[in-house]
Amino acid sequence: MKEKIINIKKGIKLHLINTDLFKTDLSVIFITIGLDKKNITKDVIIPEVLKSGSKTYKKQIDISNKLNNLYGSTLETGTDKTGKNLVLKLYTESVDDIFLPNEEKNLKECINVLLDITFNPLVKNDSFDEKYVEIEKERQKMIIESEKDDKDTYAYDKIINIMYNDCGYGIKKNGYLEDIKNINGKNLYERYKEIISKGKIDIFVSGNIENKHIEESIKNNKLIESLSDRDVSCYLNDIEKQEKEEVKQINKIEEKMDVTQGKLVVGLDVVGKTNADDRFKILLYNTILGDGANSKLFRIVREKESLAYTSKSNYVVQKSNIFIRAGIEVDNYEKTLNLIEEQLEDMRNGNFTEDDIENAKRFIYAGIDSIKEEQNTAIIFYYGEEMSKNKISIEEYYDKIKNISKEDIIKIAKKVKINTVYFLRN
Amino acid sequence: MQVIENDLIKEKVYIEKLKSGLTVMFIPRKGTNKKYITFATNYGSMDNRFIVPGEEEITEVPDGVAHFLEHKLFEQENGHNSLDVLSSLGVNANAYTTNNHTAYLYECTNNFYEALDEFMNYVQSPYFTDENVEKEKGIINQEIGMYDDQPDWKVYLNALDSLYVNNKVKLDPAGTVESVSKINKEILYKCYNNFYKLSNMAIVVVGDFEKEEIFNEINKRIIKNEDTTIAKKVVDKEPDKINKKEIYEKMDVNIPLFILGIKDKIENNNSLNNSKLQIKKHIAIDIILDILVGNSSALFNKLYDEGLIFSEFTSIYEYARDYSHILIQNQSFEYKNVIKEIKNSIEFLKKNGINEDEFERMKKKNYGMYVKEFENIADLGNNFMESYFKGVNPFDFIDESQNIDKQYVESVLREIFIEDKMTLSVVANK
Repeated sequence: MKEKIINIKKGIKLHLINTDLFKTDLSVIFITIGLDKKNITKDVIIPEVLKSGSKTYKKQIDISNKLNNLYGSTLETGTDKTGKNLVLKLYTESVDDIFLPNEEKNLKECINVLLDITFNPLVKNDSFDEKYVEIEKERQKMIIESEKDDKDTYAYDKIINIMYNDCGYGIKKNGYLEDIKNINGKNLYERYKEIISKGKIDIFVSGNIENKHIEESIKNNKLIESLSDRDVSCYLNDIEKQEKEEVKQINKIEEKMDVTQGKLVVGLDVVGKTNADDRFKILLYNTILGDGANSKLFRIVREKESLAYTSKSNYVVQKSNIFIRAGIEVDNYEKTLNLIEEQLEDMRNGNFTEDDIENAKRFIYAGIDSIKEEQNTAIIFYYGEEMSKNKISIEEYYDKIKNISKEDIIKIAKKVKINTVYFLRN
Repeated sequence: MQVIENDLIKEKVYIEKLKSGLTVMFIPRKGTNKKYITFATNYGSMDNRFIVPGEEEITEVPDGVAHFLEHKLFEQENGHNSLDVLSSLGVNANAYTTNNHTAYLYECTNNFYEALDEFMNYVQSPYFTDENVEKEKGIINQEIGMYDDQPDWKVYLNALDSLYVNNKVKLDPAGTVESVSKINKEILYKCYNNFYKLSNMAIVVVGDFEKEEIFNEINKRIIKNEDTTIAKKVVDKEPDKINKKEIYEKMDVNIPLFILGIKDKIENNNSLNNSKLQIKKHIAIDIILDILVGNSSALFNKLYDEGLIFSEFTSIYEYARDYSHILIQNQSFEYKNVIKEIKNSIEFLKKNGINEDEFERMKKKNYGMYVKEFENIADLGNNFMESYFKGVNPFDFIDESQNIDKQYVESVLREIFIEDKMTLSVVANK
């Protein structure tokens, strides 16, 4: 499985991943733009409006009928915050031609549907269809008002919002209620045009694509031809430019809600100067601390002390943050927090063994191995590297992890500081 | 050795019952590095009443024992936790408990056989002490607490409760904090010794292996277990009628969640003795659900455009030997109207029959859906395991979905989608 990158235009790339390991083909469009509070609400609604109809398939039901005819090909859309950026995602998955009962060109047709929905929206008089916009505005309102329904996700999003406020990474991923009412077909289409002309566009096609002339077909697509060059260097992630300071006082916040279980989230900063290779060291640090069954958080907080069922941490590379999460009995808050602080101190003091390091490295290698075995994982990896100033290949990724020493990890551990503690309780 | 295969999707399964009574299924995947194995017993959260061989009295155990066993099997006499051991080999190990089976599994690219040593050993070697059983209760109670905060889970369990009078499918597999408090090491050993017998268990392994080698390697790791008598599960007779027409639960949610449940006749599941018939029925139900509430249905598009619903319906047909039902789920402030509209659509479809073009489109759609289930090796392994315990052959989906005819689907619609068998489960703020 190798990635072939074709520059279609300045700022627009096609990534082809040829593999015969799968029964399905994936075609994906990522459009990356800057994360901005002023625009976020529009930006999250746009993919949904696109999915409501295009010039070719005027209604949602027309799109569904077309996809069902393509042997249940699926179309999914969404947005994700990645560091300082927002990425709009449009996915189609289709059964590969060789597994169909009749000879068909499923993948090619599916790509055409995807391109049509993304770049050929239903527009009249410089405006999206007001009816579709109203439906999606209403829907977005519901999503925002329902954020509290999923308590785990709510707690996680909340701490990020607390740590970064409403700027940059703290911007709410579902947008803002107060901004919805001012959205209409015209200004939403304005914003769409801006995204399409300024955003970084990456198209991925993964699957059994040999001899299907995908490259020509996309390059020669009229919709793609009509796109213009753009400068996209501002979207690239540059973690070595970040320099965080330790907070003077840890921010502790409690919120009450009708929950059975308390949800504890601890937000950590990696303070000081960060250089390019640090992302691998922090990843390894995080694995020892809280990722998987061998991690300290799992072994101590869950297995040894029986305080939690969920006890883990995750690393947000673009922001140099680690978030620890535990679902606990409300009365065990102090005890759990103390235990977590002890684990962080243990890491700083080098209280972990060479075995712990090797286990964590193997855990990460297994993750790297799966890049080659799962199409979506591969696309996410290649996209992540595409967005990084210091790109690496899968092989280099192994080496970066392999060469990390205990001293490297302790150095990182000493830079890991608690920024905020958030507790959702009853 | 039995071989089942499908040329269209180019898949093959080798099945053999080993001398020990263990059934092993091997699905070859040439060219992939990833490997998956699952080891399961035909014993799940429903099986809390049984008759031990040689006894006459029914043994009844607290709810949640199967799930407790799943947690506890990882603990070994040498002080190791097998989950740690497997993780340190770089393999991704896990376990899960369903209504009718309990499965232990791992996925990896390297160290498959080193992991297999630990894996097959721990499932066959229970080690329970008063202390380690007590300690686990804290973890399980937090797992129960986590699910208690999930409205999706609540509305689902209540839907099953509305459908079934006796059947234990409606229990929470983890039990309750109260039932878990009654579990002790004697109970765990009793259930383990009665149900974790190799003749009651199966392995599915997927990956790029030589056939002889993988069967041999599994066989080598069997710890002797010649006793093939298995406790008899006691299943209460389930009446045809539903349990409760409606169940409401108050939870802190913005938009009410609802499930429309439809209870199927249990004896309809006699078709389980015939895989092709059962799968034909399953495909028919999938097609009906697509036509009724799928993303290309008139009803879905109308409700979405009117702002009554905000996302696609999820609909599912679930069955085993002693339960069978359909669930249609969504969220709406006006769920009563939505339910009414679904019921109207059902009656309309019964009266007017299925449109020919739509039927053909849905056949194609479902064919694609079934092919996709053979994609991910873990899903594939789990699918074969579940199907094995149900007595069906997943390949039949591929063939039958091309052969199914409209008249048959319409007959299933008339037979199963009956007003008297429908229930409503709602989770809402008030």
